[in-house]
Amino acid sequence: MNVIFAIATGLMFALGVFQLLRRDLIKTAMGFYILFTAINLLFIAVGGFNGIFPAYSQNVERGAISDPLVQALLLTAIVISFGSYAILLGLIAISARRYNTTDSDTMDQLKG
Amino acid sequence: MQNPLVLMPVFVPLGSAALAVLFSERVRIQRWIGLAAVLIAWLASLGVLYANWVDGVQTYVIGGWQPPFGIVLAPDLLSAMLEVMATTVVLAGMIYIFGCKDKCVQLPAFVPLYLSMATGLHGAFYTGDIFTLFVFQELMVISSVVLVGISDNRLGVEAAIKYLLISSMGSLFLLVGIAAIYATFGTLTLADIARLLEGGDRPLLAQAAAVMLMCAFLVKSAVFPFHFWQPDFHTAAPTPVHAVLSSVVVKVGVYGLLRLTLLLFTVEAPLVRTLLIILGVIGVYFGSLAALRTYDAKRMLAYSTFGQIGFILIGIGWGTPLALIGALVYTINHAFIKSSLLMITGAIASRMPNKSARLTDIAGAGKTLTRIGALYFLGGLALAGVPPLNGFISKLSLVRGGIQAESWIVIGLAVAAGVITLMYMMRTWQHIFQKQPSPDLHLKPYGDSLVAPALLIGLCVMLGLYAVPLVTLATEAVSRLGNPDLYIRGVLGG
Repeated sequence: MNVIFAIATGLMFALGVFQLLRRDLIKTAMGFYILFTAINLLFIAVGGFNGIFPAYSQNVERGAISDPLVQALLLTAIVISFGSYAILLGLIAISARRYNTTDSDTMDQLKG
Repeated sequence: MQNPLVLMPVFVPLGSAALAVLFSERVRIQRWIGLAAVLIAWLASLGVLYANWVDGVQTYVIGGWQPPFGIVLAPDLLSAMLEVMATTVVLAGMIYIFGCKDKCVQLPAFVPLYLSMATGLHGAFYTGDIFTLFVFQELMVISSVVLVGISDNRLGVEAAIKYLLISSMGSLFLLVGIAAIYATFGTLTLADIARLLEGGDRPLLAQAAAVMLMCAFLVKSAVFPFHFWQPDFHTAAPTPVHAVLSSVVVKVGVYGLLRLTLLLFTVEAPLVRTLLIILGVIGVYFGSLAALRTYDAKRMLAYSTFGQIGFILIGIGWGTPLALIGALVYTINHAFIKSSLLMITGAIASRMPNKSARLTDIAGAGKTLTRIGALYFLGGLALAGVPPLNGFISKLSLVRGGIQAESWIVIGLAVAAGVITLMYMMRTWQHIFQKQPSPDLHLKPYGDSLVAPALLIGLCVMLGLYAVPLVTLATEAVSRLGNPDLYIRGVLGG
C-alpha cells in the first residue's frame, strides 16, 4: 500500500513543481494546489497504522484500523491549502483585470 | 502548570476579529474593539512572562487531551519574552491605525484581518505542538497577504501573489518535515519529540526533517538564499502592517531556528550553526549594501531588516550562552527600533501628495518637520548601535558573545557591517530632513499621527538607558534553554 502512496506522491510532486514554474499564473496556482494535495497523500502514508477500518470500530483486530490523527491533520491541511488557493486565485483575478494578462513575466514593476 | 492566562493573547484577538466582523459598517467601533483586544493580549503576555519568571514553563492543555496526545500551549521564558515583544509592536500598530490616513485602513476588513494576523503571530510563539505552529503560521501568512493585497500601493497585489507562492513553498517544507517527524516518532508535541531525540534514536528520516524545518524557518525569516520576496512584500504593505511584518513576523523564523538548535536537534546543532554563521554574514552584507543603494525609504528599511536578521543569525550560530543572550536581546531591541522607524517613514510619506516614499520624491520633505526629524534621528542612531540607545546594548552583547566564541573574523565583519548601517541611516536621514525641498513639493498639512512611533522610540531610549531587566531576562532564558529537560518536564510533567 505504501509503495503506491510513495509513487503517487512523487508523481504529483513532480507535476506540481512543473506547473508551478509555468509562466501563466493560473497554471501556477494549479501547481500550487497539486503540490499541497501531494503532501496530503504523504500524510495518509505516514500514519502509524494503515488499516482500512475507521478508528474506534468494534470487533476489528488491532492492526486493521486506520490512524485517526493523520486524518485530523489532513483535514486541517486541506482547509488551509483550500483557503490559500482561493485567495491566490482572487489575487490573480484582480491582477489579470489590472494588467489584462496572466503572464507573470509582464508583472515586473517590483524591481530593485 | 495549567495557566489559563496563556490562552488570552491567542484567543482574545481571534474572538475580537470575529466580533469586529459583525460591526463591518462601523469602522470606529471595530478599532476600539481591536485596541481593547490587543491591550488585553499585551497585559496577558506580561502576566505570562511574570509567571514564567517565577515558576517555569506555563502550559494550557486544550480540550483536555494530555500531552503528548493533545494540543498544548506551552510558553517557556524564551517564548514569553518574544511574545511580549510581539504584543508590544502589535499594540503600537493598533494605535497607529487610529491616526492613519490611508484609504485601506478605512475598509471594513482591515481591523479583523489585523487581529487575525496578530492571533497567528501570538499562537506561533506560544504553541508547544509543531503542527499547530504550522496552522498559526499559515493564519498569519494568509491574513498578511490579504492586508498587503488591499494596500493603497498599487503594487500590493503583485507583491501579495509573489509572497503567497513563496511562503507556501516554505509551509510545504514545514509540512513535509512534520510528516517525516510523525513517521519517525509518532508524536507532534515539541517536548515529546525532544525527549525521544534525546534518547539517542536518530533515524535518517529525522535528520531529513531537520533540514526541512530549517528551510521552512529560513524562508519565513527571509534569510539569504530565500530573501527575495521580503523587500517587495514589505514595501507594498500599509504602514501599520509593514511595521508588524518587518519587525516581528520575520522573528517567527528566528524563534523556530532557536527551538531547532536548542531543543530538538541538539546533536546536529554544530552543523546547523556553521551554516547559520555563513548565511548570517552574507545576509548582513547583502542587506546593508542593498539598503545603501536602494531608491525608496521604506524599501531601505526592509533591506535593513534583512541585514539585521543576519546579525541575529550570527549570534545563534556562535551558540555560546553569551552569544545567545546577545541574539535574544538583539531580536527584541531590533523589533522596537525597526517598527518605530517604519512608522515614522510612513508618517512622512502620508504627507506627500502621492504618498510615495521614493528618495527622489521625498528629498527635503522633512526640512520643516523638526520633531519627526528628531525621532527619526534617534531611531537611526539606535539601529546603528550608538551608545545611549538600545541598539548599542544589543550590539555590545552580541560582540561579547563573539569574544566568548573566539570567532574573530566574524566579529570583525559584523562590526564593519555596523558602520554600513550607520552610513545608510544617516544618508537617508540627511536626504529626508536636511536637503532643500524642491519648490513644487507641497506637503499636506496633516499626516499620520506620531503617537505610536514616539512611544516606541521612548521604549528604545528607556531600554538603552536601563537595560538591566532585559539582559537579566535574556540571561535567565538562555540558561533555562541550556537545559532542555526543564522544558520537557514542564510540558510532559514528571
